[in-house]
Amino acid sequence: MTILGIAFGIVFCLLRVVSGESGYAQNGDLEDAEPDYSFSCYSQLEVNGSQHLLRCAFDDPDVNSTHLGFEICDGLLVAGCLNFIKLQEIYFIETNKFLLIGDSKICVKLGQRILTCRKMNIVHIVKPEAPFDVRVIYREEANDFVVTFNTSHLQKKYVKNLIHEVAYHQEKNEHDWMHVNLSSTKLTLLQRKLQPDAMYEIKVRSIPTDYYKGFWSEWSPSFHFRTPEAKGPGKMEPVLLIISILSFFSVAVMVILAGVLWKKRIKPIVWPSLPDHKKTLEQLCKKPKKNLTVSFNPESFLDCQIHKVDGIQARDEVESFLQDTFPAQLEESEKQRLGGGVQCPNWPSKHAVITPKTFRGDASLRCLAGNVSVCGTPVLPSSRSPECREGGKNGPHVYQGLLLGPGTTNATLHPPFPFQSEILTLNPAAQGQLLLTPLGSNQEEAYVTMSSFYQNQ
Amino acid sequence: MFHVSFRYIFGIPPLILVLLPVASSDCEIEGKSGEEYQHVIMVSLNDLDRIRENDSNCLNNEPNFFKKHSCDDDKEATFLKTAARKLKQFLKMNIHEEFKLHLSIVSQGTLKLLNCTRKDKEKKQPSLGEVQPTKNLEEKKSSKGQKKQDEMCFLMILLEKIKTCWNKILSGTKEH
Repeated sequence: MTILGIAFGIVFCLLRVVSGESGYAQNGDLEDAEPDYSFSCYSQLEVNGSQHLLRCAFDDPDVNSTHLGFEICDGLLVAGCLNFIKLQEIYFIETNKFLLIGDSKICVKLGQRILTCRKMNIVHIVKPEAPFDVRVIYREEANDFVVTFNTSHLQKKYVKNLIHEVAYHQEKNEHDWMHVNLSSTKLTLLQRKLQPDAMYEIKVRSIPTDYYKGFWSEWSPSFHFRTPEAKGPGKMEPVLLIISILSFFSVAVMVILAGVLWKKRIKPIVWPSLPDHKKTLEQLCKKPKKNLTVSFNPESFLDCQIHKVDGIQARDEVESFLQDTFPAQLEESEKQRLGGGVQCPNWPSKHAVITPKTFRGDASLRCLAGNVSVCGTPVLPSSRSPECREGGKNGPHVYQGLLLGPGTTNATLHPPFPFQSEILTLNPAAQGQLLLTPLGSNQEEAYVTMSSFYQNQ
Repeated sequence: MFHVSFRYIFGIPPLILVLLPVASSDCEIEGKSGEEYQHVIMVSLNDLDRIRENDSNCLNNEPNFFKKHSCDDDKEATFLKTAARKLKQFLKMNIHEEFKLHLSIVSQGTLKLLNCTRKDKEKKQPSLGEVQPTKNLEEKKSSKGQKKQDEMCFLMILLEKIKTCWNKILSGTKEH
């Protein structure tokens, strides 16, 4: 039994040594070791229309690939395997026969002998194409930089979803790179996060996401841009400065005008004062001049041209007409008899207005009474204005004229009172506003009324 | 009594064993997540629709094939397998290469995702003409152009059925 055990042990050891020597290499003794045929591959889908690209290479650059080849099996639309094309040290295949579902087997073969194989999924070793057309635009109004770039995968059917990495740095800081990941092709960089007046370099690369996985693409061509200089703390836009100055001055002018015109214009409109009846009446009625003689004495109005009125007529027109046709004294004498020349502004037109026709009748009566100078001299009625009162100082002259009328020395003049009474009779509807009342018993009453009126002022 | 128990012991179990393979599906759907279908098969289906969108002069009558094979409940995998194999017949037709490419992707991609374990010999699929036996008499009368038109119409219906069945599978998976 012992001998048998020893024999088995020897045989076992010999077997082990023999089996270990065949592929054993230690301490760099590689004379009999097989070379390392490990390799790595990546795929690019739709690089040329519907054609896909699969590229493989040995990890060890020292591998003698003279007679080596690659082939891919499984995961194809065709039965069997497809061989790679060798280009220097790179093996590739461009075809549209990839199923893109399931694993494929990629093998290294020497002639017809398979050296090594690896199982790979074509959609998990995708390397996108590098982005291109990187641009940076500065927006002064927003104080930021808009980074845009383009990628060919936007028009592809399979690998459409990518993650893009934007890397930028200040050129003087060689290794201080900033990285930003995004899924779109547009990025905004704030100006305050960058150094002012500095030169920057920026580049982009992509990697597939979702169903398709793989590696980062190559970097895009770099783009260089310079940031603007920093603005001063107190620097303002010139337009804004002008507007602010103009606004300040406008406000100041408005305040001054408001203060100046407050009492005269603004306050009466904003806070109108309630009218005082007494003061309003005083304003309506003009104060007579102090030198104005107010009297009911007919002698005061001798110099005053008094015309009877029949309707509203211009005083100047009437005076001129009367001067042409009648002697001035006769007019005045008639007016004296009438006694209706002096009146206030509220003299009604129908008040003591006697038509010429009527008056002629009276004149004829006077003629019969011996007043020759009066005959044939119709008197046109006219209205008198309050200005007549102003000519009160000429009153006595009027009367004198009357008395000294041509050819009237022997004429007797009836006192005006009867005519006045006649006039008053002819116009029984005369308004109570008749100021020139007969100088008789009502004289004192009228005088009191006038005086009291001015006293109220 | 004794002979009755023998009947139940030796009669019914063999019957069950015989019928079980028929009732059960030999395909297991692997792509239930929907990623492979959405990113590969559906892309080809859309391209096929785009290629054939100008040619839609098809009759509304459903071919007999679909009366025999339908995407019923628990029979989705079987239907897809049959439909995918049917698509292969169209690869032999004289059609555009791009069209053939997408047909291949749909057919083989579907079969790949179904992962059918039972690799039964593919029965010799009846020719396209035999699919519609009612039309055997008509084929003799119609021209080749009409025949091709009918085949294309059948193909479009088949693709539509495959798309519908896939959507049914994926929606059922999401509900669970």
